[in-house]
Amino acid sequence: MKIVDTKGQLCPAPLIATKRALKETLLGESFIVLTDNQTSFTNVSRFLKDNNTPFTATENDSIWTLKVTKTTGELSKPNVEEFCEVEVPHFQKGDFVIAISSDRMGEGDAELGTLLMMNFIKAVHDLDILPSKMVFYNSGVFLGRKESSVIEQLKDLERMGVTLFLCGTCINHYSLKEEITIGNVSNMFEIAQIMSSAGKVVKP
Amino acid sequence: MKVDLLKLVEYGGCSAKIPAKQLEEILKFLPLPSDPNILVDIDTHDDAGVYRISDELALVLTTDFFPPVCSDPYEFGQIAAANSISDVYAMGGDPVLALNIVMFPAKGLPLEAYAEMLKGGFDKATEAGVRIIGGHTIDDTPPKYGLAVVGFVHPEKIMTNAGARPGDKLILTKPLGTGVIMAAQRMGIADQSDIEEAKRQMKLLNKTGAEVMKRHGIKGATDITGFGLAGHLLKMARASKVSINISMKKVPLIGKTYSLVDDGCIPGASFRNLEYCENDTSFSPDLDYNLKMIAFDAQTSGGLLMSVPADRLMLLFLICTAGLSSFGL
Repeated sequence: MKIVDTKGQLCPAPLIATKRALKETLLGESFIVLTDNQTSFTNVSRFLKDNNTPFTATENDSIWTLKVTKTTGELSKPNVEEFCEVEVPHFQKGDFVIAISSDRMGEGDAELGTLLMMNFIKAVHDLDILPSKMVFYNSGVFLGRKESSVIEQLKDLERMGVTLFLCGTCINHYSLKEEITIGNVSNMFEIAQIMSSAGKVVKP
Repeated sequence: MKVDLLKLVEYGGCSAKIPAKQLEEILKFLPLPSDPNILVDIDTHDDAGVYRISDELALVLTTDFFPPVCSDPYEFGQIAAANSISDVYAMGGDPVLALNIVMFPAKGLPLEAYAEMLKGGFDKATEAGVRIIGGHTIDDTPPKYGLAVVGFVHPEKIMTNAGARPGDKLILTKPLGTGVIMAAQRMGIADQSDIEEAKRQMKLLNKTGAEVMKRHGIKGATDITGFGLAGHLLKMARASKVSINISMKKVPLIGKTYSLVDDGCIPGASFRNLEYCENDTSFSPDLDYNLKMIAFDAQTSGGLLMSVPADRLMLLFLICTAGLSSFGL
């Protein structure tokens, strides 16, 4: 009978050797596994039990002898494709562009306007159907500053696949170059193209 | 002299933990201190303790250290530090300060290796914004390294094992398999690319995942380390008084983890973790044996596991795109 001698080997080597022997053994035939490590003995026994493989074990002078008989054919095999499956959510985008021309929303009280714009961006962020693009010009570019109160929402929108375009002339005019960390710096030609080719343009 | 730390250890990383079952037996005899300012203690088997200083501020305290998980001292330092700091992230805290905990042989290994290891820890701590302000070293073989870390958290924004709610979905931010790959590496049967990927995952700070959790007010979270995915989920289930279902088919794995396990490369720690969990775990009859054992694979510096209200699965996407591999379970 074949003897798999794993004396002197530590986990998981004895288990690997046992499993290899199982694969090589014909149905109904037996082999012997030797180990001098109690943990390895416990683990190999546990493995055999879990896989419905009958065995007998004896211990002599801290050497464990397992006689293993192969009864089932292949050990449980999974469908490889199934366990590779990964879910990636998808964010739906509509054929519209949002144009932000100011850091405030609407006419009237400045403080209110700032607050409204903040809420608007947050609401866009939570829309079921997101815009395909957003353009920012004039004081709208202020929303793209590092300290902007909606910077996290804008970053999220970018991650969700919404492309942000910020007017380069405006960034220079307000000397914001160092403070803008999101979006693409754009020019008037590109902005005009984006707005004219959009299904619709939403302007808060 | 090129140092190979792996030659010195039988169990590396979090596989070297005392079996959970044994630990619980011992800890039973220690009375828990009672103090209204202790917000989280070992009662819920959480990653760190939390102590309230004021209504606005609580301290998160945690420590973790282990024997080498890779050959290179610098990389080992990085991994040990990322792992230690992770417990603060898992509680929703910001890590701030740390102390080195080191065991290193005074003879037999060049002191440059020691310096390299500390440098790795220092660099990783710096990346996390943590300042190491001291430490303690004991002469011992094999080397062991880790940090005791202090973090800050708002007392109302703590994330714990007890924060999972019925109906929540789970998100895991790193693939499983570091235990299997490291065992395979010691056996000389691991692919180099898988070893590199495992090291990359272990070095990766759980910072980004933690930021996303904070921003979305997640209440239930832990990090996956020595007790394996299933072991940590069981701790969460007990603390939150819920039951948790996972589909192992959906859990991402590093490289050839599956085929290594299929070849019998199942680390001893997996059997220990299985033994700890099996009385409270039921396995679907068609669960593949290899996947079952992977659920118990001890992870070193594993990912965050967050319990997320079902309607917030958007998080999943945000984390994915923030450069982490993340997966709904």
